[in-house]
Amino acid sequence: MTLEDVKRTDSGPALMLANEAVVRGALEAGVKVVAFYPGSPTSEILDSFGEVLEHFGDFKMQISANEKVALETVAGASMAGQRSFTSMKSVGMNVASDSMFSIGYTGLNAGCVCLIADDPYAHSSQSEQDGRYFGEAAYVPMIEPATAQEALDMTKWAFEVSEKHKTLVIMRTTTRVNHQRGMVNLGTLNRTPFKRNKWADVKGQYFTVGSVARALKAKLLKKNEAIKRDFEKTHFNKVVPGGGNVGILTAGVCFLHVMEAMQNLDIALPVFKLGTLFPLPEKKLADFIRSLSTLIVVEELSPYLETRIAALAQRVNPKLNIVGKRSGFFSEMLEYNVPIVEKVLAEVVDKKISIDYDAVLKKAQKLKEILPERPPIFCPGCPHRGTLWAFRQALQQLRIRDKIVFNNDIGCYSMAFLPPNEFSDSMLAMGASLGISAGMEMSLEDKVIAMVGDSTLYHAALPGIVNLIHHNSNVTLFVLDNSVTAMTGQQFNPNSPFDAGGTPARKINMEKLFEGLGADKIVIIDPYETRDCIGPIKDAIESDGFSVIISRRECALYGDREKKKRGEKIIPGENVKETCRVIYACVKEFYCPAIVIDESDAKMVIQQDLCDGCLECREVCPVDAPRHMEVKK
Amino acid sequence: MSKRGKTFNIMFAGVGGQGLMLLSAILGKAAVDSGLKAMTGEQHGLSQRQGSIYVHFRIGEPISPLIPYGKADMMIAMEASEALRYVEYLKEGGVVIMSSRIMPSVTETKSVALDKEKKTKYLTVDDIATKLKQVTDKIVLLDSLELAIKAGNARTENSVLIGATVACEDFPIPAEEVRKAVLALVPPKTIDANSRAFDLGRDAGSACLG
Repeated sequence: MTLEDVKRTDSGPALMLANEAVVRGALEAGVKVVAFYPGSPTSEILDSFGEVLEHFGDFKMQISANEKVALETVAGASMAGQRSFTSMKSVGMNVASDSMFSIGYTGLNAGCVCLIADDPYAHSSQSEQDGRYFGEAAYVPMIEPATAQEALDMTKWAFEVSEKHKTLVIMRTTTRVNHQRGMVNLGTLNRTPFKRNKWADVKGQYFTVGSVARALKAKLLKKNEAIKRDFEKTHFNKVVPGGGNVGILTAGVCFLHVMEAMQNLDIALPVFKLGTLFPLPEKKLADFIRSLSTLIVVEELSPYLETRIAALAQRVNPKLNIVGKRSGFFSEMLEYNVPIVEKVLAEVVDKKISIDYDAVLKKAQKLKEILPERPPIFCPGCPHRGTLWAFRQALQQLRIRDKIVFNNDIGCYSMAFLPPNEFSDSMLAMGASLGISAGMEMSLEDKVIAMVGDSTLYHAALPGIVNLIHHNSNVTLFVLDNSVTAMTGQQFNPNSPFDAGGTPARKINMEKLFEGLGADKIVIIDPYETRDCIGPIKDAIESDGFSVIISRRECALYGDREKKKRGEKIIPGENVKETCRVIYACVKEFYCPAIVIDESDAKMVIQQDLCDGCLECREVCPVDAPRHMEVKK
Repeated sequence: MSKRGKTFNIMFAGVGGQGLMLLSAILGKAAVDSGLKAMTGEQHGLSQRQGSIYVHFRIGEPISPLIPYGKADMMIAMEASEALRYVEYLKEGGVVIMSSRIMPSVTETKSVALDKEKKTKYLTVDDIATKLKQVTDKIVLLDSLELAIKAGNARTENSVLIGATVACEDFPIPAEEVRKAVLALVPPKTIDANSRAFDLGRDAGSACLG
C-alpha cells in the first residue's frame, strides 16, 4: 500500500512509515545513487529502495558489504556529482566512522545524506549507543526529525544543506521515529533519467593528510560557522509558544511525548523543538532560555543537549534551574514514553498526572504473574537450530564442553546464548569473534571456537580470519551459510547471486576463499542432515590449525518465500503417536516452537500450521518419531 | 473515544508470523480512506517468527506514536496470551478482541513435558480471560480458526478479528470502510471467504458486546 505512495508522482496525503517517508524524501530530492548495509531499525529504507528500483530505473543501488563501504560508495558518487544517500543503524556508524571523519575534512560535491538510527532500549542492538556525538566530533552537520512528515521534509532539506555547504549531512533518528507510521503530505516527484558525468566536469580534490589536513581544518571551522548561521534561521528549530517561566528543550520523538504529556496535564509550557543537533542554533537557544527560571530538558540516552545548554546558560542565564538527567529527574537508560515525561512535567509544575501510571503498571505486573515468558527463538525450519544441536552433541561426545571457549558474532545465531545452547562466552560486534579468538588462543589452554554468518563473514570478519591464518592460530570457525542477511529481513549479500531489487550479482565462492587464504581444514555440512553433522564437526574441532566448518542451508524464511514463488508446497511434519516414546529430545534439546505436548497422553504434537517441514526434529529424536505428512495430491 | 474526545487507541498484539502488520495496514487504510488521521508505533526488526510482537495504533488526533499505559480503548490479540502480555496498555473497561488460539512458548512446553507428576499445565484461555476481567468485562473471545474455516478458508482468521472491531460502538471507522480495506488488501482469490469471515467476526462481536 505505502510503496504505491512512494512511487506516485503527484503530491498529496499518505499514511507512511517514517522509513518509507525518508525514501520518498530522497527520491523527491533527486537522489541518484544509494548504498546500504541492512540494520534495524533502518532496514525498511534499504528494502523500500530495492522494491522501487526497477519501477524508477533512474537511480543506482548497491547492497554494500558493510556500512563503511556503503558510506564510501555514496561519498564517491557525491564526488562524482550524483546526489546520494545511505542509512545505517547506530553501530553501523562505528564501522563507517573512519571514513566519515575524513569526509568531514574533505567535504563532498553533490548532495550526500547519511541517516543513522539509534536504538534506545537496545530493542535490536548490542548497546544503547548515542550517535549524536558523531556530528560534533567530526564537524559534520547533524539533524533530527520527530515525525514521518519531518523524516520526508528533513531528508529533502538535508540534500540542500549538503550541496550548499559541500558537506556530508547526517540525519539522526531513533527506533520510535523509524518505525512510526504517520500522515505525510507528499511533494511532487519529478525524476530525471540517470546520466553518468565526466570527471573533468565535476572534479575536486578529496584527500587529507598533514599540511593539507591543517588547511582543511581551518576551512572546515569556517564552514561550520556558515552552517550554524543557516541553522539559526531554519524552521526546523522552532519554538512552540506557551506561558510562564518554565520551558522545555527537546528533539526527535521526545518532542511528541512532551506535547502529548502537556495535553494530558492541560498545560502549555513554551517548548524549543530542536531540529539541528550540530551545529546548535546557540543564538536562538540563548533567546529562549534567557527569561526562563527553569528549563526541562527531555532527551533519551546521554545528556547531550543538557550538557550543552548548561554551558550556554552559564553565559546567558547562570541562575537557570535545569531539570534533566543530572538532577535525577530523567534516566540515561531505556527509551522514553508519555508516562515518563508526564510524571516529570507534573512534578515540576505541581499538577496531578492524568492517570496513576504506576498503579496501572503494578496491577498489570500482578495479572501477568501467570504468563510464561516468550523468549526470542529460532524460527521453525531454521538451519541454525540443527547446527547448534550437532555442535553440542560433538562437544559432548568429545567430552570437551568445559574445555572450549566459544566466541559468537552478530546475527540470528547470536541467540545461541539462550537455552538450550547457552553459549555465552563472548559476543561483541560485527566480526569481533575473530579478533577475540586471536587473543584467547594466545592466552588459554582451551580450544577456541568462533562462529559467524555469511553476511558477517563478508562484513567485518575477513581481516580477523586473515590475521588468524597468518599467525598459524589453532582456531575452529563455524560459518553459517544461509544465503542471505537473515536477521534484518533476508537481504542479499556477497554470498548471494543477487544485489538490490533482485538484480544479478556475483556470488563470492566461499570454499575457494578459504582455500586461497590457506585454511588448514574446510568441511561442509548440511544442518538438515543433523546427525551426519556431528562427525565432521568433531573432526574439525580436533584438527590442528585453522579449521572451517561451513554449515550450508538457506534461511527458512527466505527459502519458504522462494518455494512459494516456485509454487512449491511446504509439507509440514506429523507426529506419529505410536512411535513417540515421550523421550522429549525434541523439547529439551531442540526448542522448536512448532512442537507442543498433548496434555491428554503427554506425547509430542507438531502444530502443522507452524511447522516448516525441515524434519530436523526427526534427526534429533532417538526413535525417529516425526515424519512428513502424507500429502494428498 | 477517549476522554479528550479525539483519539481512539488500539493495541495490537500477537506472535511473529501471524500477519499482525497486515492487520494494522488494513485498519490504517480504512482510517485514511474515512478521512481520519492515523499514527502507529510498530515493532519491526529481528525477523524471527514466534516472538512476541505488537503495534500501537492510534486514530484521531494522536501526538506520540506510543499509547500511554492504561489508555488503549481496544486491544486486538491474534494470540490469547499476548493479550495479557500487553495488559498494562488496556484502559479500565476497554474492549478486548482476542483469538482463543494459544501458541505455547518452548520454555512452557519444556516445563509441561518435564513435570513427572504431570501437574504443570499449559496456560488456558480461561486463565487469561479471568485476569483480563479484572481490567474489563468487554471481552470478545473468538475461535477465529473455527470461524475462518466456516467462512471457507482457514487463513481468514485476521478478517474474523477485524470484523469484530466494528461491533464495538465507539469504533471510529465506519464498518463498510473497514470491510473495503480488508477486501482491498487480501489476495483476490480469497475475497469471498474474507468477506464472509468479516461478517462472522462482526456478528460474533455484536453477540458479545451487544
